[in-house]
Amino acid sequence: MQTYTYNENQKLFKKALNLIPTGVYGHLGPAEGCFIPVQSYPFFSSRAKGAYFWDVDGNRFIDYMCAYGPNVLGYNDEDVDMAVAEQMKLGNCTTAPSSIMVDFAELLVDTVEMADWAFFAKNGGDVTSFALMIAKAATGRKKTILVNGGYHGVAPWTQKLGYPGICKEDVVNNIYVDWNNYEQVEKIVKENPNDIACFMATPYHHPVFTDNELPEKDYWQKIRKLCTDYGIVLAIDDVRCGFRLDMKGSDHYFGFKADLMCFCKALGNGYNFSALCGTDALKDAVSSVMYTGSYWLSAVPFAAGIACIKKLKKLDGPKLMQDKGKKLTDGLVEIGKSYGFNLKVTGVPSMWYMRITNDDSLTLHQEWVSECVRRGAFFANHHNLFINCALSDEDIKLTHEIADESFKVVKNNHKEI
Amino acid sequence: MTQELTKANINLYAVLRNLEDLCELDKDMKTLIKDISMRIKFVVKNGPKGYLSFEDGTCTFSKILDKCNIILYFKSPHHFNQMIDGKANPIPLKGLTKISFLKNEFITLTDKLSYYLKPTPSLLENETYLKNNTILTAYTAFFALAQVGNTDPIGKLSAKRIPDGIINVSITESNTGIHLIAKNGHLKAKKGLSSNNRASMTFSDIITTNKILTGQIDTYSCIATQKLQMKGYIPMLDNMNKLLGLVSSYLQ
Repeated sequence: MQTYTYNENQKLFKKALNLIPTGVYGHLGPAEGCFIPVQSYPFFSSRAKGAYFWDVDGNRFIDYMCAYGPNVLGYNDEDVDMAVAEQMKLGNCTTAPSSIMVDFAELLVDTVEMADWAFFAKNGGDVTSFALMIAKAATGRKKTILVNGGYHGVAPWTQKLGYPGICKEDVVNNIYVDWNNYEQVEKIVKENPNDIACFMATPYHHPVFTDNELPEKDYWQKIRKLCTDYGIVLAIDDVRCGFRLDMKGSDHYFGFKADLMCFCKALGNGYNFSALCGTDALKDAVSSVMYTGSYWLSAVPFAAGIACIKKLKKLDGPKLMQDKGKKLTDGLVEIGKSYGFNLKVTGVPSMWYMRITNDDSLTLHQEWVSECVRRGAFFANHHNLFINCALSDEDIKLTHEIADESFKVVKNNHKEI
Repeated sequence: MTQELTKANINLYAVLRNLEDLCELDKDMKTLIKDISMRIKFVVKNGPKGYLSFEDGTCTFSKILDKCNIILYFKSPHHFNQMIDGKANPIPLKGLTKISFLKNEFITLTDKLSYYLKPTPSLLENETYLKNNTILTAYTAFFALAQVGNTDPIGKLSAKRIPDGIINVSITESNTGIHLIAKNGHLKAKKGLSSNNRASMTFSDIITTNKILTGQIDTYSCIATQKLQMKGYIPMLDNMNKLLGLVSSYLQ
């Protein structure tokens, strides 16, 4: 199998370094994206279609990062793009918002089981921050319980004291608990009477670099009851999991009902917007908080969202992606085993996490992932991965072939295994 | 805001500790200590303790207190920091007859250390100076990093977030290597590389190391251009780098 080279990527990156801090910043950049070793990875894409993207050197990748989630139907999905084109003819960012916003709100409320209303913004972080403000407005309290290792965006309150740019006042009202530890949450609630406004968590635990963990039996049901008993708003960050577990919401998937649900990534197949859904009891609090931004009510993403959600429902997207994810990961585990590698897969198959457990440094895993990337299967080595609906059986077969050759290369470099 | 205790720990365990390497890197300093047999104990009340041993043409720093010729006492971490800044004198408890060593050879050594740790653009044009400055700066930074993680209030938060294990830090163009042992939020820096490391950070060359440690180029760009290579359990390095960011406020 021929391995890729990245001359044009490197040239463009050098140019970018002169113009943009760190060249490519954030989680799509080589540093935050943990491209190890850097020379195995592409930096810039030139185009994308379906389950693939092509880099600026013309290399094609089967994309298991899906733009870190937004690519849920496949890049440039024809139904979504057609709806976008139609809306573009009518208008996008206008003084009075387009009526299509109401159409989308109606679709979302009809789709998400817990939703009595929907509010729109642009980013996952917009709606997680808004969820906290609503909880504080509704309860008159100031503290939030969060889970260690949980990710809710990059606003100062989501970060930690000791991180550049963060001061004590930004995080003073955060209290951290371990995932799946109900007793810790209960203890904190009892120790802080009338102080806890919100409990916020992802529906299941999917931190970076660490095995993902599903909720233990009755965990969410106990948390739900505790929040209800003590008047605490239960906010679920479904930004990453939303519509990859359950069209009705990931709270529905795990058998409980949240007060607030934050959605973003898979909402519009890459067209940018986010949504906060909530229950009637919080509607007044939502209205009381001043919250908006430029472009937040633009029409094109709503058109994309309507087409995307309808198509996901028609395809039964969550089941489709779970089935494809299972087929892919079962194969990867078996191939790894044949070379003496223990590839551990955790989380839900539509957005699984995997790591080679033969060493505790992730070095072998980083080597294997980099060999896969150089052969056209784009994985990240530190983050959960994503399936999209456009992924075919042929793509899975090719990924297995790439994985096989990559395991062989790593095995040759580590005869001790 | 810097803490006196952390600063004192850095001054002894990271800055003065460097006399070890100075006497290896600089021929004049190696010659200066060739025939000297001396052990100086530093005792800082409510602060760091350790001694410098000059034997057989080498200098060794140790935290484990042993027999010595000279004991220098300091009333507080602040007192010790003032001595390092040239604004106070130590209280000699033992070794009054050895004062000439302190006033002559020892001053020559510390002056030479300052010379290497306080570069000017013209000095850095000299290849040997650049190399010595970089190696001594790197040792200072990474030994200081452990002290920041153990005693600075913000640093302790980052140290606690470093998963247990060993981090190797090395400069490819030189034999410089250090490993940082993290256990239960406590950090220990040691010279040399470990074969049992869980993560590693490798600087590609002297110039890159110098520029990164002096803030002339950013770490993220260097990672992307392969001038700085990281691998292994990255959360260890991520939190270690946050500590490295705090070190500069203590070494100005």
